[in-house]
Amino acid sequence: MSKKPVTQPALHKVIMVGSGGVGKSALTLQFMYDEFVEDYEPTKADSYRKKILLDGEEVQIDILDTAGQEDYAAIRDNYFRSGEGFLCIFSITEDESFQATQDFREQILRVKNDENIPFLLVGNKCDLEERRKVSYQEASDRAKQWGVTYVETSAKTREHVDKVFFDLMREIRARKMEENKTNNGRGKDKNKRKKLKCVIL
Amino acid sequence: MDPTLKLFVSTDFNPDKYVRELSQNCIGGPELVRLRNKVQSLSEETSGKLKRNVYQNYIQFIETAKEISHLESEMYQLSHLLSEQRSLLNSLSNTSVLGDDKPVAVEVVVNSEDNKKQEEEARQNKLTTILEAVEGCSNLLEVSTRSLMHEGDLLELDPMENTPLKRIHGYLFNDGVMLAAWNSNRRGPIRYKFEAFYELGSLAVVNVRDLGNIKYAFKLLAFPDTRLFQSTSNSTKKEWLEKFDQAKKARLTQDQIKRESFAEKSPSRSVSIESPSLNPFEEAEEEVASHPEWLMETPEELDVYVAQRHFEDALTLLHKAQEYFKNYLPHHHQPDHTVLDLKRKVEQRHLAVTEVLMKELEVSPDKSLQGGLRAARRPVGLLNQLGRSTQSCKLFLKLCSSIMRTHCKRVKREGSVIVYIQHLSSAVFTNMCHMTEEFLRAFPNSPSCSSAFIVWASTELSIFTTHFIKQVFITQTTLSTLTECVVLARSQCERLCAYGIDFCYQLDGAFRTPLTRAIRDARDKVTDAIKLRSLEDTWIPTNLKSKSGLARCLQEHAKMDLLLDNYVTGDCWLQLTNNTLSFTKLFLNLLEDCLKLQTSELLYTIDEVLFDILDAQVKYIGQSLRSEKQVEQRQFITKNVDFVLITLISLAQKKYSTVVGFESFGLKRLVKENTALLHGVTPTSRQITKYSSNEYL
Ligand SMILES: Nc1nc2c(ncn2[C@@H]2O[C@H](COP(=O)(O)OP(=O)(O)O)[C@@H](O)[C@H]2O)c(=O)[nH]1
Ligand SMILES: [Mg+2]
Repeated sequence: MSKKPVTQPALHKVIMVGSGGVGKSALTLQFMYDEFVEDYEPTKADSYRKKILLDGEEVQIDILDTAGQEDYAAIRDNYFRSGEGFLCIFSITEDESFQATQDFREQILRVKNDENIPFLLVGNKCDLEERRKVSYQEASDRAKQWGVTYVETSAKTREHVDKVFFDLMREIRARKMEENKTNNGRGKDKNKRKKLKCVIL
Repeated sequence: MDPTLKLFVSTDFNPDKYVRELSQNCIGGPELVRLRNKVQSLSEETSGKLKRNVYQNYIQFIETAKEISHLESEMYQLSHLLSEQRSLLNSLSNTSVLGDDKPVAVEVVVNSEDNKKQEEEARQNKLTTILEAVEGCSNLLEVSTRSLMHEGDLLELDPMENTPLKRIHGYLFNDGVMLAAWNSNRRGPIRYKFEAFYELGSLAVVNVRDLGNIKYAFKLLAFPDTRLFQSTSNSTKKEWLEKFDQAKKARLTQDQIKRESFAEKSPSRSVSIESPSLNPFEEAEEEVASHPEWLMETPEELDVYVAQRHFEDALTLLHKAQEYFKNYLPHHHQPDHTVLDLKRKVEQRHLAVTEVLMKELEVSPDKSLQGGLRAARRPVGLLNQLGRSTQSCKLFLKLCSSIMRTHCKRVKREGSVIVYIQHLSSAVFTNMCHMTEEFLRAFPNSPSCSSAFIVWASTELSIFTTHFIKQVFITQTTLSTLTECVVLARSQCERLCAYGIDFCYQLDGAFRTPLTRAIRDARDKVTDAIKLRSLEDTWIPTNLKSKSGLARCLQEHAKMDLLLDNYVTGDCWLQLTNNTLSFTKLFLNLLEDCLKLQTSELLYTIDEVLFDILDAQVKYIGQSLRSEKQVEQRQFITKNVDFVLITLISLAQKKYSTVVGFESFGLKRLVKENTALLHGVTPTSRQITKYSSNEYL
């Protein structure tokens, strides 16, 4: 990754997952362009790239905003495979979207075969408190169970929008550094690393 | 060759002309008579030769027929073995349950027939040009439904750095995308070099938002590849994305059409596809509700049916469930755990039903066979429906065997052998016929079962013949009794021919060796009797004491087709010795038995035995004649010779040829060798050769 330090800064690949209409595109657009899109237009699959300063270091973020729906499991798997970190989004106004996060989590873990993959559970549309269907407690319980962070956002008010992207990128970066260390030692067998972590814990 | 013979053989031989010429050239009667005799002797010689040839061919024919029948039974057994192997392999392959990963063929839906043809032609033309332009894509035509949807030039960029890499020509087909690199030093029609082919079903297409230096780009994600392409303008990129979308949708509808064939069975499926509010990534486990209720209850329902012995209902349900599984296409090609679980459970019930039905058919000592084969109909039929005809056939035949055993045991060994054999063979073959009927009813169109049946029947017949031989072929049994038993068995065996099963060859084959022995034993008994009687013979005419006694004797012999009126002298005398008369009776009885037993294989033995017996008697008479000096007595002896050699042998030949189709060579030779006796001359110079088969062949 650092073999051509002159040309490009580090690239972190983030994937937005979640049921349709929860605000994946809205969050992405807010982060990228600082704008909120009111009208809903189902996405196919869009990717964005942007140079940003992460803790004083210039990095690139590559965001893949996935389609609300994908009919072929194999295609879905290919999206997930290309990601280094995941923002798993649901809408706090829609319980069903919250339930769906369970499946996304499982599928990502299956595809990446890594329990410690950088991952954030994101409860979006927190500006719509009066229509909340998913309690904070409920969501943070699930996050705890998974061993991930839970953040509530609003694409509309921009609340915590930067936070979720930056937090995820930090996780990805930390992950890569750790990986480099193990790489210097041996191959990148993720299971091995997992075992290693267990020992540390 | 005789010149006259040559004349006869020539193709333009005209008998009328020949006779006319003869009568013209001949001088006087004696000359003509001489010629006539010559022709006659020629004719006799020819017919003799003809007969010999026929006999020779006949033996060959018999040998061939035997070979064929052996081959036939071997083929049956082979075919039986093969079908057993096949069912074994089938059951083995059925045990590996999973791996039903059928590739999805994508077809383009075209409405009108004409269009179809034209489009097919265009499709093929298009593919051929691609084939010519791109090096290394020879397997492009392997998928018969493949057609081109879009193509165009692209610039590949480094996915990390966004820097240009190389020029690519992309081909979008209805089932995938092919990437071909530009050939820098291109010659001839080959412009590109094949690089990669990505299946549409697993290819993720991502639109790349314009940002800074990246414009008009899109990404293809096909793990482990991530490839970034730049098209020439915004509109060309849109076109690419749209075409990708179209191709994917077409493919999806195609898949859905397949799924819709059983849509009524899972109505909620299509809803889950259309509703955007539902989680589209939903795993199969959550689609439990999409299976009909009856299916969910099938395992338990099957248990109940079996417990209540409602096997027919169980089978109907079983088939319904299996049909459902067969048509079921898992959503997203992910294994549906509910279905897999149900399938496993139903499969268990399937095995259970099969087992119960097989138990029904099984023979055990504590089970009565009262129901007989009729009771077996239901389980056999059901097992056949379950596709277990091999097993049901096996059990059916086992049942047949044990029914056969019980029936045979019931036949009591009391009274004469003939009565016993009559009852036994009737029992065996009546059962056999009955079982054949049942078999044909239960397994009407199954060659493998048929061969199993033939093998079974053959085994049963062997059991019968072995038992028969033990019971009948014992020294105490006379040839007549034996003959009657064999004839009984044979006629019973012929009943099977009505079903197209001819086991007579096997029956005859089994009896051949013991019968040969029995016939030779009978000959030895008769020749012993001849020797004994010859010691007591006084060579005097038979005195029948009275007129009525003579009449009775004449009548008795007339019944045997022998007219003795020429031998009568006075009121009660017959110019044949008592010895001659009793020999005649003995010989004719033996002949009768032999002719009843006659099979092509036994003919040789029969001929030999008839010759030996007559030879012994004639030799004895010849000896008497030689030692007799008195003219009158010699005349009397000659009369007896004449009776045996002419009258008796003619009668025997008549009977023989009626049954066999031609006269006995043995008897013929006997007559020929002893003609001198007829003139009162003893053929002292005659070489006594042992009668052997060599002389026939
Ligand atoms: N009030 C509110 N509306 C939101 C928020 N995020 C998205 N939306 C609206 O929800 C709808 C769907 O958003 P979108 O980003 O297209 O959903 P996605 O494509 O499934 O990620 C749009 O009408 C958005 O305006 C939010 O944080 N607050
Ligand atoms: Mg979207």
